[in-house]
Amino acid sequence: MKKNKIIEIGYGEVKKFSVGGDLPLVFVGGPCAIENRDHALYMADKISKICSKVGINWIYKSCYDKDCRSSPKSFHGVGLIEGLKILDEVRNSFGVPVVSDFSDPSWAKATGEICDVIQVPAYLCRQTSILKAAAKTNRPILLKKGQFMSPWNMKNSCRKIESFGNDKIILAERGTFMGYNMLVNDMTSFPIMASTGYPVCYDATHSVQLPTSMGNISGGQREFIPNLVRSAVANGINLLFMETHDNPSKALSDSNTVLDIKYLENILVQAQMIHQTRIEILNKYGEDNIHKEKE
Amino acid sequence: MKVKQVMLSQNQFPVVLEKTILKEALEEMDKYGLGIVCIVNDNNKLIGIITDGDIRRKLLKFQKPFSAFYIDNAIDHCINDPLICYSNDSLKKVIDLMGKNEVWDLPVVDKNKNLIGLLHLHQAISKILI
Repeated sequence: MKKNKIIEIGYGEVKKFSVGGDLPLVFVGGPCAIENRDHALYMADKISKICSKVGINWIYKSCYDKDCRSSPKSFHGVGLIEGLKILDEVRNSFGVPVVSDFSDPSWAKATGEICDVIQVPAYLCRQTSILKAAAKTNRPILLKKGQFMSPWNMKNSCRKIESFGNDKIILAERGTFMGYNMLVNDMTSFPIMASTGYPVCYDATHSVQLPTSMGNISGGQREFIPNLVRSAVANGINLLFMETHDNPSKALSDSNTVLDIKYLENILVQAQMIHQTRIEILNKYGEDNIHKEKE
Repeated sequence: MKVKQVMLSQNQFPVVLEKTILKEALEEMDKYGLGIVCIVNDNNKLIGIITDGDIRRKLLKFQKPFSAFYIDNAIDHCINDPLICYSNDSLKKVIDLMGKNEVWDLPVVDKNKNLIGLLHLHQAISKILI
């Protein structure tokens, strides 16, 4: 097992902080897609106030191009140029780091010039051209674990990114395919991915997705978000990712899984308490040591 | 006779760097047909070894999937403080040591623990018999 890697988040004028190891839990959230400028700023304001109240560092997440939608009729996004302009405004207005994903290598450079963290979509998590483009931005990379990937095989993607000169990686769990249209959450993926030494993130809202279960869109069971968050935090995550919306039924993307913002504070408070308790327990009783490879 | 007269020199036995995964380390062993691989750091300092026997014992002990086992870092499965010998050691003394410890291969290092060769029992005996 490698030593825990600490990653610095933020550049320029935003609030900077570190993630990894025993550092406090970090929240990553926002609407799945950037719907328009006013909504993005409204959501950033709402989330910012909640995070400030509960005392948690956070990263604003929203995407400008939803390239993995099931239906050609679904909202695809505001586009690269408009989206990055809005994310830049969110950064500057609220002093919060931002993250967005990209689905084409040619979008990476521009995305990295604005975003504090660059996200690799789960479906593209082993594409060399995408990983190379992400690495070359030199930003921290939020690397989603593909629903088809084992947690241990994510190390291959890490090695690719490292080979392109970037070792600022955060590994994110977002559910694993079980048969068709169904995801399960394997809690062993957290210690397995953490054994790479990189910080680990739990994407709670995508993890409750039922992919394309509604024929041409994905369904979801958001009622399980709080349960899964508690389990994931207790299993040692460093970042908690939850897409958040003020009116989920009207959300332009992932309306069946985004978290209603009215529940955000409650979940974040619980998550922080569990995170802190876990660290105290491990400090008191020692790291788990019941099945060491080197016995 | 000295160890240096019969040892395998670099490029004649499996050596991998510390970031190598277990799958690649096993492939390296297979390439040379030897039951040992030496793990070195970027400065060629010996960090550990893995032998066929180590892998056999792991397979009998752990039930995790092969795919997970393969992607582990080789160093996580190595013997960190293996028996070693020096190139100027007497061959007889070293072969006695190998017999006592029931090992077939012994890394040869210099005084700074840099890897310089491998003493493989079969090779050594062949040379003696000639």
